[in-house]
Amino acid sequence: MMTVSEIIKVISNGEKTAEQITRESLAVIAQKNPEINAFVEVFEQDALAQAKAVDEKRARGEKLGALAGVPVAIKDNILYKGHKATCCSKMLANYVAPYTSTVVEKLLAADAVIIGRTNMDEFAMGSSNQTSVYGPVKNPVDTERVPGGSSGGSAAAVAAGMVPLALGTDTGGSVRQPASFCGIVGVKPGYGRISRYGIVAFASSADQVGVLAANVADAALCLEVISGKDVHDSTSLEAPVPAYTKAFTPDLKGLKVGLPKGFLDGLYEDIKERLLAAAEELKKLGAEVIDVDVPYAKYSAPVYYIVTSAEASSNLGRFDGIRYGYSAQNAPDLNAYYEDSRALFGVEVKKRIIIGTYALTSKRYEECFLKAMKVRELIRQDFKKVFEQVDVLLTPTSPTTAFRLGKNGKNPISLYLADLYTCPGNIGGLAGINVPFGLDKKGLPVGVQFYGPILQEEKILNAAHCLETRV
Amino acid sequence: MPITKQDVELAGKLAKMHISPEESDMYEAQLKELFNWVQELSAINTDNVKLTNVNQAAHIRPDVPTCNENLAAQLRAEFANQAQDCAKVKKVL
Repeated sequence: MMTVSEIIKVISNGEKTAEQITRESLAVIAQKNPEINAFVEVFEQDALAQAKAVDEKRARGEKLGALAGVPVAIKDNILYKGHKATCCSKMLANYVAPYTSTVVEKLLAADAVIIGRTNMDEFAMGSSNQTSVYGPVKNPVDTERVPGGSSGGSAAAVAAGMVPLALGTDTGGSVRQPASFCGIVGVKPGYGRISRYGIVAFASSADQVGVLAANVADAALCLEVISGKDVHDSTSLEAPVPAYTKAFTPDLKGLKVGLPKGFLDGLYEDIKERLLAAAEELKKLGAEVIDVDVPYAKYSAPVYYIVTSAEASSNLGRFDGIRYGYSAQNAPDLNAYYEDSRALFGVEVKKRIIIGTYALTSKRYEECFLKAMKVRELIRQDFKKVFEQVDVLLTPTSPTTAFRLGKNGKNPISLYLADLYTCPGNIGGLAGINVPFGLDKKGLPVGVQFYGPILQEEKILNAAHCLETRV
Repeated sequence: MPITKQDVELAGKLAKMHISPEESDMYEAQLKELFNWVQELSAINTDNVKLTNVNQAAHIRPDVPTCNENLAAQLRAEFANQAQDCAKVKKVL
């Protein structure tokens, strides 16, 4: 698959039509998806109609949008009017979006072609894409391994060359970790940069839409298109969106990069080696790399599992068979109706609802939820302080490379630790990006991550853009 | 904070979610492990920590209530089946 900039070029100069590009994308999906299982539905007719509309627009001499004719996949928790959005759950098996999310509206306004919806962990709860009702996604790099999660379908679709761009959502690393496992770029902006209107909520204080792409420039362009204040989302931030791709520099002179000490402890040797190699490359690019300390960040994972589960238990309360979701049949009374309807949640989703409900009970509220919220505040202060010293942080993205399908499924802690380096970004509301940086000894992709403060995505994009040229 | 099967069942009841006996056993074991891990937070001194719900207040719109006078009409328009100022919805019980 061509890159986004190549597609834009060939369409604008008339070498290819948007319809041809879309048909090429559809052909790759038809060829590879039966094995990879990245897409759960392809919007073939709609996509071709959108592509033809772009071609007609060009023929009329009208100005084309920033993503004209670029096929984009969307995760199955992003609403697109008239199309199913199931969160890969039996609970929403027949749910058809009654309106379009702001991110999809923005893509369409930029003349992108929405090609289909991608597989994911059920309700975005998971790190391996093994909890989807549509079955697991396979990693295109090694089909016996997971693609990561929860945006595993979106990552696999890009990595397999089915599409050049895909949207995911990231509540604890669900864009960056699968990007790392699949050897592509995944960026999650700071909290509030992108509207959450029309995204099925998991944990509202941490959820953010992110972009998966084959390279940093493509991801940056898409991020530019979908970012910005939205009247439909009061948490979206009122701040201008920079032209990210125009902020790229040839080197990193003057950039201060922090390497958090605690993040290297006990790290898988191959990943540590790649991370330190990345730090050396950054120095060669002119950056100053210094050791920094973010002492409370190591508590991000337990904080994350309490806070996000508590929010999930509240957010998923709407799936009661009346307002949303599967409706039980022949229930004898209203309580039985609720209980039977909600029994359709999968094992992981139920578990998180139970964790969250339990953490919010009067008996446990102070020692669990309130404690976690206070530690979250300490983590935020940690990051605030560290960004007074440095511009960006360099960390691992994941403690491991892609593991085998079926592995890590039974032990909840081992799966939760998959988010060890990514969930601090959601707990702190930071911007984060995974950039591929070589392979481990098994030949599997290793990613490194940059973190930056809210509303300074251009810094991490530029650092990642420079680093990707040194792989 | 030892987790018991009763805790799991109570959470299931509060969440209005049917949990089978097999699921209850599984969740009890997993939650025990999880909350043991979470216990490490208790060692952190948070006595003087004040919660801030919003860390980017300067960029958030003013919280001014607005009234959409057309809301009732817009909501009514969503229902295809109406009669005598009532909207027909699906039967629940």
